[in-house]
Amino acid sequence: MTYTPHHIARFGVGIEGGPTSGMALAPREEKDLALILRHASERDLVVQVWGGGTHSGFGKPPPPDLVVSMEHFGEIEVWEPDDLTIVVGAGARIADVESRLAERNQTLVMSERPSGGTIGGSVAAGMSSLRRGRLFGIRERVLEVTMITGDGRTVRSGGRVVKNVTGYDLHRLAVGAFGSLGVIISVCLKLWPTPPSSATVTLDDPEEAQLVARPLAVLDVNGAHKLFTWGTEAEVEAHLDRLGGIAVPGLDWPEDPSGEWRWSLRIPPALVSEAVDRVPDGWTYVAVMGVGEIRAASADHEGAADLREWAESLGGSLVVAAGDPDLFDPWGSPPPALDQQRRLIAQFDPRRVINPGRLPGGL
Amino acid sequence: MSLVAELRTVLGSEDVLEEPVELHLFSKDASLMRGRPTCVAFPENAAEVSSVVQIAEKHRVPIVARGAGTGLAAGASPTAGGIVMVTTAMTDIEIDPANRTAWVGAGVINLDLSKAAKPYGLYFAPDPSSQSACTIGGNVANNSGGPHCLSEGSTTSHVLGMEVVLAGGEIVVLGGEAPDPIGLDLKGLIVGSEGTLGIVTKALVRLLPIDPDVRTLLMDFPDVETAAKTVSDVIAAGLVPAALELMDRRMCEVVENWLKAGLPTESAAVLLAEVVGETEGVISEAEVISGIALSNGAYGVQVADTESERALLWLGRKSAFGAIAQLAPDYYLHDAVVPRTRLVETMSAIYEIADRYDITMLNVFHAGDGNLHPLIAFDSSDEELNERVHRAGDEIVALCLSVGGALSGEHGIGIEKRDMMRLNFTDLDLDAQARLKEVLDPAGVFNPTKILPEGSRCFDYGGVRREMPDGVWV
Repeated sequence: MTYTPHHIARFGVGIEGGPTSGMALAPREEKDLALILRHASERDLVVQVWGGGTHSGFGKPPPPDLVVSMEHFGEIEVWEPDDLTIVVGAGARIADVESRLAERNQTLVMSERPSGGTIGGSVAAGMSSLRRGRLFGIRERVLEVTMITGDGRTVRSGGRVVKNVTGYDLHRLAVGAFGSLGVIISVCLKLWPTPPSSATVTLDDPEEAQLVARPLAVLDVNGAHKLFTWGTEAEVEAHLDRLGGIAVPGLDWPEDPSGEWRWSLRIPPALVSEAVDRVPDGWTYVAVMGVGEIRAASADHEGAADLREWAESLGGSLVVAAGDPDLFDPWGSPPPALDQQRRLIAQFDPRRVINPGRLPGGL
Repeated sequence: MSLVAELRTVLGSEDVLEEPVELHLFSKDASLMRGRPTCVAFPENAAEVSSVVQIAEKHRVPIVARGAGTGLAAGASPTAGGIVMVTTAMTDIEIDPANRTAWVGAGVINLDLSKAAKPYGLYFAPDPSSQSACTIGGNVANNSGGPHCLSEGSTTSHVLGMEVVLAGGEIVVLGGEAPDPIGLDLKGLIVGSEGTLGIVTKALVRLLPIDPDVRTLLMDFPDVETAAKTVSDVIAAGLVPAALELMDRRMCEVVENWLKAGLPTESAAVLLAEVVGETEGVISEAEVISGIALSNGAYGVQVADTESERALLWLGRKSAFGAIAQLAPDYYLHDAVVPRTRLVETMSAIYEIADRYDITMLNVFHAGDGNLHPLIAFDSSDEELNERVHRAGDEIVALCLSVGGALSGEHGIGIEKRDMMRLNFTDLDLDAQARLKEVLDPAGVFNPTKILPEGSRCFDYGGVRREMPDGVWV
C-alpha cells in the first residue's frame, strides 16, 4: 500500500501499545472518518478501530490494513448535569469522564476499573459495570448512538432523552456489535447520581447479602464475598449495623482478573456459586452475584473446554476476552439467527471492512 | 384454497373469525384509526403462529399482531388489511424465582404477571396505565413504559429473552437467563418494533424484588411551572424516585368527579412522587423531595399513610385517560419526551398553544422522565374542531423536538406519528431503519406501513463514492 504524504500528514499517527500491523490513522472529523471508511470499502481494506485497546482480545479479526484511532473523538459534547445525560465522543476515556462527572456526584455506571478504556470501546464490546445487578447493564445506559457505517454513512439512532420509543432501536443493536455495523463516534448515556455515602463489606457469611434489599453489588472475589452499598448516611449505617464482617468506607472495587488468558463466563444468575466451583484450579475470578457474569483469568486454557460445554448447556457462554484464538475458539458455539445477523451487517458494512470475522460465527 | 380456509386447516375453524361484526370489533386499537381486516386469527403457540406467517407470506397479506388493543398509535389497527393475529390465547406464566425471571406468553396481561410473581416477593417493573388490560406481547412490541419506569427503565430493560417467529415462519429463541448473549442483540432490536419485524410469542422477563418500604407523596402547587420546576430540581438533587407524575387542575377535576381519589382540585397542579427501598432510605428521600417542593412554593405535601391510600392515589393517576369520557367522546394524545431541564418552558408553551387553538387540553404525565401527555378532549365528528386539534398536536410535537426532545416516549409510532418521523430523523437515519425492516421482513407481511414513513428506503445514497483520485490509497 502507498499513501500520499498529504494523507499521512493529515491522519497518520503512532498508537502506543496499539496493533503492530497496519497503517495507523487518527481522523479529526466525522467527514474524514467517513472518507477513510468509504475508501476502505472501495479497496476491501481491513479496518481495526482503536480506542483504549482494553477489549482488543475479543474475537479473531484478521490483521488490519488500517488502524483508525478514535483519539480525536474524545470530547464531552453536551453534559446536562440537571438532566442526568451526557453526549460524549467515543474516544473519550471512561476514567477522564468519570472524574469530570464526580464534580457533580454523577457516574456513567460503566467499568469501575477502566484503565485506559474508552466509552466507544466499552459500548462496542458491550461491557457492563459491576453495579449491573442494581442499575442494569450497558444496554440500559445507552440512549443514543451516532456511528459511521462501513460504507461511510453517518447514522444516528435513539435520542437525548431518558425514555424514547421513536423508531427502531438500532443503537441497541450497536451495543456489543464490535463495530460490525459501523464505527461509533458518539453516544448519549443515561447518568446516575452518586449518593453521599457508601461502603464495602467483606461478608463473614455470603448468606448475609440477603439482609440488604437490592444492594449496589455483591461480588465473589476469589472466594471472598463483598457487598457494596450506597445511599444516604442513614441507609448505609443501617446496612452496616445489620451485616457482619469487615467494612471499609467507599466502594473498593476489585481489579479485573489479569493473566495471559482472560475470560467472560456468562451463566444463569442462580448458578453463580456452582460456576465458581467449576472454575479450574489456578484461575482468578470476580463473580457478579445475582447477574451470572464471571470475569476470570488464567495462565492457560486448560479446563476451559469443559467449562464452556457446561455454560453452553445452560444457554450461557464462555468467551475469551484475551488469549490466543488459534489455541482456543474465542466464542464457542455460534448464536441463533446467524443468517439474519449476517444480512443485517451487510446493510451497514457491505464490504465487511470493520473487524471482519470478529463476531461469533465468523461474522 | 382461500386465506381463511387455509388458516382454518391450521388453527381450527373456531379460531379464525370472518363475520362482519367480528371483523369490526378488531378493526382498530385504542387510537382513532380504523382498518378492515380480512380475518382475525387466534393462534395458541409459536408453531401455529409460524404456520400463520407462512400462509400470510404465500397469500401476500399483512399480519397485524394484537394483544389487548390498548395501543394509542394505531400500531394494532389493520390499516393495510390482512390478518389480525390476536395473541390472547398464549397465556402461560412460568416463574423462576431462583433466577428472578419468568417466561411469559405474549397474551398474558401485565398485571396478572405481577400478581403471579407476588407470592415469590417479585414483580414486573413496567406498569403502563393500562396494565390491568394490556398484554406482555403488546408491552414488548411497544417497549411500554409506565410511571415506575423512571428508576427501573422501560420494557426493553426487562426483556432478557424471547421466543419469536421471524420471516418464513422460522421460530427462534433469542437471549436467555444468562447475561450478555453473544452476537448481535436482535432481541433488543425486536423490542419496540411494533410487530413489524416478527411476532414475539413468549418473553423471558426480569422480575424485581418487591421493595420493603414505599412512600407516596402528593404535592400541590399554585401553577404547573413550579410543579415542573420541582421535578427538575429533584432530579438535579441527585434523586431518582420510583415515579414522579404530574397532573394539572383540569385533569384532577375530571378524575375526582369520577373516582373521588382524594386529589386536590383547587390547585393548578399536583405532583405525585413515590420513593421505594429500605425504610431509612425512603424516609430521607421523602424529606428531600418535600423540602424542594415547599421551597418552590407548594401549598402542601401529603404522604399516603396506608397501602389503601396509596392505591387510591395511583388509581386516580392510572384512570386519568378513562375519566376523559366525561368531557368528550374522543381524545387526541401525544407522548413526546423533552429533556427534563426543559420541562418548565415546554409546559408554558404547550398551554399557550392550547389557548391559541381554543381547545380543551388536560395534562397528566410522567414528569420525571420528561415524557409529556398533552391530552386534547374533543368530538371527532366536528370536522372543523378535528382539524384544529390535529394542527395543535402537530405544533406541540414540533415544539418538543425543537427543545431536543423525541417523538414518542412509550406509546410508539404506529401510523399516528409515522409521518412525523422525518422531524426526528435524517433521511440517512430513516434509510438505516428501513434496511433493518427489509432484512427481517423481506416479504413485507409484518404490520406493513407502520413506523416508517413512505419512501424511507428510497433515499439514494449512491453507494461507495469516489472523492479522491484513483491510486491514492493503493
